[in-house]
Amino acid sequence: MAHTHRQPEAPQGPRARLVGLLAQFDQPEPLIEAADKAREAGYLKMDAYTPFPLPAIDDAIGIRRTVLPFIVLAIGLGACGFGLFMQYYANKADWSPLFPGYAFKISGKPLFSLPANIPVTFEVIVLSSAFASFFGMWLLNRLPRLANPLHRVPRFRRATNDRFFLLLEAGDSKFDSSRSRQQLEEWGATAIEEVHEDLTDHEFPRIIKFAGIILGCLLLVPPVLIYRNSGGTNRAPRLHVVPDMDYQHKYQAQQLGPVFNGKADHTGLFGDGRSMRPPLPGTFAIGHMAEDLEQQRGGGTPPDAIVSSGAGGHGQSAGQFHLQDAAPAAGAAQDPAAPPEPEWVTTFPPHIEISRKTIERGKARFEIYCSACHGYAGNGDGLVNQRAVALSATGQAAWTAAKSLHDPTVTVQPVGRIFDTITNGRNTMGPYRAQIPVDDRWAIVLYVKALQETGITPPVTAVPATDAAATPAVPPAQ
Amino acid sequence: MSIAIRPEIDNTIENPGRRAPLVLGDLDYGGVTDNVASLWEATKPPRAWYITLAISSIFLAIFGVCIFHLLMKGIGIWGNNNPVYWAFDIVNFVFWVGIGHAGTLISAILFLFRQNWRTSINRAAEAMTIFAVICAATFPGIHIGRVWVFYWLFPIPTEHLAMWPNFRSPLLWDVFAVGTYGTVSVLFWYMGMVPDLATFRDRAKTKLGRFVYGLLSLGWTGSVRGWHRYEAAYTILAALATPLVLSVHTIVSFDFAVSQIPGWHTTIFPPYFVAGAIFSGFAMVVMLLVPCRELFGLKNLITLRHLENMNKIIMATGLMVGCAYGIEFFIAWYSGVSNEQFAFYNRAFGHYWWAYWIMVSCNVMIPQVFWFKWCRVTPWFMFIICIFVNIGMWFERFVIIVTSLARDFVPSSWAYFYPTYIDLLMLAGSFGLFFTLFTLFCRYLPVIAMAEIKTVVPRHVPGHDHEHTEAGHAAHH
Repeated sequence: MAHTHRQPEAPQGPRARLVGLLAQFDQPEPLIEAADKAREAGYLKMDAYTPFPLPAIDDAIGIRRTVLPFIVLAIGLGACGFGLFMQYYANKADWSPLFPGYAFKISGKPLFSLPANIPVTFEVIVLSSAFASFFGMWLLNRLPRLANPLHRVPRFRRATNDRFFLLLEAGDSKFDSSRSRQQLEEWGATAIEEVHEDLTDHEFPRIIKFAGIILGCLLLVPPVLIYRNSGGTNRAPRLHVVPDMDYQHKYQAQQLGPVFNGKADHTGLFGDGRSMRPPLPGTFAIGHMAEDLEQQRGGGTPPDAIVSSGAGGHGQSAGQFHLQDAAPAAGAAQDPAAPPEPEWVTTFPPHIEISRKTIERGKARFEIYCSACHGYAGNGDGLVNQRAVALSATGQAAWTAAKSLHDPTVTVQPVGRIFDTITNGRNTMGPYRAQIPVDDRWAIVLYVKALQETGITPPVTAVPATDAAATPAVPPAQ
Repeated sequence: MSIAIRPEIDNTIENPGRRAPLVLGDLDYGGVTDNVASLWEATKPPRAWYITLAISSIFLAIFGVCIFHLLMKGIGIWGNNNPVYWAFDIVNFVFWVGIGHAGTLISAILFLFRQNWRTSINRAAEAMTIFAVICAATFPGIHIGRVWVFYWLFPIPTEHLAMWPNFRSPLLWDVFAVGTYGTVSVLFWYMGMVPDLATFRDRAKTKLGRFVYGLLSLGWTGSVRGWHRYEAAYTILAALATPLVLSVHTIVSFDFAVSQIPGWHTTIFPPYFVAGAIFSGFAMVVMLLVPCRELFGLKNLITLRHLENMNKIIMATGLMVGCAYGIEFFIAWYSGVSNEQFAFYNRAFGHYWWAYWIMVSCNVMIPQVFWFKWCRVTPWFMFIICIFVNIGMWFERFVIIVTSLARDFVPSSWAYFYPTYIDLLMLAGSFGLFFTLFTLFCRYLPVIAMAEIKTVVPRHVPGHDHEHTEAGHAAHH
């Protein structure tokens, strides 16, 4: 056996105290017999040390059933309540002022439903009970106990290997050093030693004492620093201990590269340093088709001339559209503060075929949608217009007479202007963008232009164009 | 102690009149201690130990580099795609958690059933469990993307957000199940080790050894009062760990079973996953212990009978897993749900047919060799079979996760998953982590529960006429 027989460093003098007599046995059975005899002899304070559990000795030593299971049961029941409450609180209790819970509403399910909370409750019970039995064992066994007089007996090292020991404690009323030794010999002990306790064992080792003092001083540093800074002012941002979602390491849409902890990383995601691609020319956001000036308004800047404006200090933007006629045209016509008349497109979009077929399509649409007011020839003599004019003459209706399309103010209008009128309306004419598809509107524009080419002269009408003179710069439509 | 010279017994022979000895070589108490401590006490471990450590640390380093790369670049470096959002990360997670199950099964369930043969293998199996859970926890830990806010997984009050986990989500149950499992396994392992650490403390030759093992062994003296409470605590922990081990893979299977993907949404998953976990875990224990007993001279403690018993369990659980594969097809047919039927037809005969048939041959067909005794008691042969079992079980998780996701409800979103080389390196790297930890464990901690095995040492008791008995007999009546 790898075992050195050094002389025990038996502590002597006033600082040492006899703990008891330690008897060694080579097999478990003699130990059990010896313990039984010690019990019969009246010893009450004794303990046995074995390399493996030996429950057969429990009665002789006088071991009572441990209370550990009840400790674990109590902790386990508490954990059951705690686990349920934790889940209830976190997913339902959004009323608490401090660290409120968050009511997850998922598919209309109840916020707290027991079946879904069983797994976590179970795991919390098991975890807590395991800790309870682990640390409960420590507590009941008074562990950790690193300084033990038994460890001063070299022979005792084999208690964790292959030898069995019985300790008769000196505190027992039956204990008598020489008589007890004799008894142990009779009971078959193969070796007997006195165990002494060195009272200095109870003192803290000096190095731990010093380390503790130094650590304690160091622990005082943070509170002192906090106290020093608590009353002052500081321009630096507040210390952010837990960043959570406040700063996210990600690419921001309109910034150069990711921003983290307030510092921009100028590498960027794309080669040009941008973190997003500008939209292609002619791109419009979903729901913003009205901003497509060519298609929807018949005017404005050609799509490929969309300018990027310098946004912020980075000289980058997603390309802001310069809308020259963003305000509703009906109001803009009379409003002197309105932005100036946009530059209307003068040509048809490339995909509109200038052909007889398109004109015929435009004629059909014109006769359906426009002729009721403007008349079949575009003279502004439609039946609805005639009736409305008659009613407005007697004050029974407010009506701006439909314009003749052969009026000089209309014939000079570029095609974009006519398209815009159809799309967005003018004066009492409502917008037709919902009723007439874009290509059909362009077809109507083509038909109107064709009508104007026929040379029909406008008839002299008794009804003056009410707003004709109001804003000469902006000829009132129809 | 008298030394009775007996011939070496083949303890795999069944003799109803005699209890097969669990410790061979006439080892007495001191002999058991010497045998177990020999690797730890050796000034130079065997060359094989250095070679194993070197190779596994290289893979561990690869794992570390891959994780660093992942943190810098994001999970786009993996082959995961839409709709295969879960691939190697979750496959590896489920695989490693499954491996971990054998340890607790051996230490807790076999303990409660008083299967004394567990005493030789439980320590190593528990260590394996803990290392496997470490490997397992790494994967979901790094796949969450923003690893630095991993604490959002736990119900911790936050400074600025009223943000809590959703306690009705199986993914959160997973956090609790795996977390609890890892913690309880460590407690169980450590508590079982305290008496053996005390043995190491008392045998340590260096001052550092005495200090470290003295600290770890908490001042354990082997007092019978201490043993009494220790045994109570150990039994309670075993009783707690038994439902726990069953709950863990049940909850892991809920990650899939609670969702609606065809091929996942089945109630058979919990028992099927648990059986598979025990199957793969035992295979891993055999894989580790066969070389371990050869290299470190533990043949008298980890006997052929131990290996044979484990092989029987491997075969039994392998049959359970095979049965589950069959039942899945039956249920798919019986349900009358065309999506479900397609999912299973597709598993066996679709794009991933190769994965499915690797799985079936490794898990169901190959372990059938254990019907023959020669296969059960021949270490090198069972080692090879167990490698196949682990390959098969890895593919089982791959088949379940990837084939189901790759062919979900909407054909327009179907896609094929290709692993990147990072995926493969991380799988290999996780084995590096596992084997590095296990190799270090073999050298620095008691590989076999010495105190426990002393209760089953066959003894020649003076006064009991040449009758072999076990200390446990004296101890447990």
